[in-house]
Amino acid sequence: MKPASAPDLAGFDLASIPERIQSEVQRAIQRSIKGVEYISTSGPSLGSTPKDILSTRGTMNLYHYRPIADEIYRVPILIVMATTNRGYILDMVPGQSFIEFLLKRGYDVYMLDWTAPKPEEKNLRMEDYVLDFIPDCVRHVQQDSGENDVTVIGYCFGGVLSLLYGSIFANGPMKNLICFTTPIDFRGMKLFQNFSDRRYFDVDRLVDNIGNVPPEMILSSFEMLRPASRAASQVQLWENIWNDEFVKSYRMFDRWATDTLPLAGEYFRAITKDLMWDNKLFNDTMTVGGRKANIADIKVPILHAVAEHDHIVPYEAARPLIEKIGSADKEEVILKGGHVSLVAGANAVRRLWPKLDSWLCERST
Amino acid sequence: MADKSNDPVALWQNMIGEMEKGFNAFANQAMASPEFSKVVNQVGGATAGAQKQLGELMEKYLVSMNMPSRSQMVGMAERLQSIEGQLNEIKAMLHQMQSASGGAAGGSSQAPRPPRTKRPPPPAGGEPK
Repeated sequence: MKPASAPDLAGFDLASIPERIQSEVQRAIQRSIKGVEYISTSGPSLGSTPKDILSTRGTMNLYHYRPIADEIYRVPILIVMATTNRGYILDMVPGQSFIEFLLKRGYDVYMLDWTAPKPEEKNLRMEDYVLDFIPDCVRHVQQDSGENDVTVIGYCFGGVLSLLYGSIFANGPMKNLICFTTPIDFRGMKLFQNFSDRRYFDVDRLVDNIGNVPPEMILSSFEMLRPASRAASQVQLWENIWNDEFVKSYRMFDRWATDTLPLAGEYFRAITKDLMWDNKLFNDTMTVGGRKANIADIKVPILHAVAEHDHIVPYEAARPLIEKIGSADKEEVILKGGHVSLVAGANAVRRLWPKLDSWLCERST
Repeated sequence: MADKSNDPVALWQNMIGEMEKGFNAFANQAMASPEFSKVVNQVGGATAGAQKQLGELMEKYLVSMNMPSRSQMVGMAERLQSIEGQLNEIKAMLHQMQSASGGAAGGSSQAPRPPRTKRPPPPAGGEPK
């Protein structure tokens, strides 16, 4: 508390200065100690919720998480992860794991996760993902759970793949669809549009030369969207290195963000030409393996969660999904946060997860 | 407690935050121009071509030095990955065999699965659905 006699100088509370100096000195000492600890130790163990591998084939892995509730909802969930990133973003550490949250709330959870495609998988096409991998996983989920209906949750490009799958297999077995930050109007991804400007970006030459698109290229294109943020986050880390919770969270997200996957060459070519250049999903001209994929054909209940400050999938790119989808039961929810904090971390624990549970529980019986 | 607006640490943090936002906004504006795309893609295209040629040259050099090249290391990594993959397949097959033989799957892969009878919780103050 400020002593009555303490004089103020230009608004500074002079009496608090010794206390602040002491606190800053303590933090400086802690920074040095914790800084050494940071360098010499590995980060927290991620993705550790117990699971079984149901199927694995090349780049595709299907996991089943072991239920922890005494009673579960009838309809199982299949999470389709984005092809550029690892699925453990949804299973960070206990207390900050979306998977753990779903299991505790009584859902039966499966995840289609990806590993780096091998050089010989450079010929994987969009149809391999939409007409083979996802239907194969859905079949495994049906077989394993004994249920015909499946709820599909797609994150980012996993959402695009889920939409394509749902459009082509409009008669089932998808019962509900949940998309997180899913772009459909690729004109809205302005910087990615500019990076891949068809006048200057020779996607054929790139794919023909290097095969799979390396993860460094994907990561740098994400980082270019916010070029100052990496340096600023490192300053922030140094300032807060005395704070164990901050450091733990920083390490989790940093590890995940830099753990980017390469993309199969042909698949990348199709994304660039069909989606970035011709915007076919938005223009209702998309086909996959010769089959028409029009999202107006999807009639199942859908929830689309978007982030207010998403720099990877801006709102303009995600907004038309709810307008264009054929479902009568449809809802868009705009939540505070960014592309990643929407689905993981303290922000998601408070905002997205409870919202998703209240929406899905009624549609899972 | 010190007033945030006069706290030098808070002022510093705020300044870093503002600089980050300002630089990002400036860079985004610059990167949105067609000239940027042209230059980046020209440089990127040339780099990819040069990288490919350099890679081929290095490969020959390493062979002559009797050292493993990157492609051989990648090959070894792939073999390891394939062994891991086969182990995973064996695990998946064991899991399926266990399910087929009536032995309970799920739970701790040993425990019986919980019944699929869960209902949504009743709305606050209402009857169960």
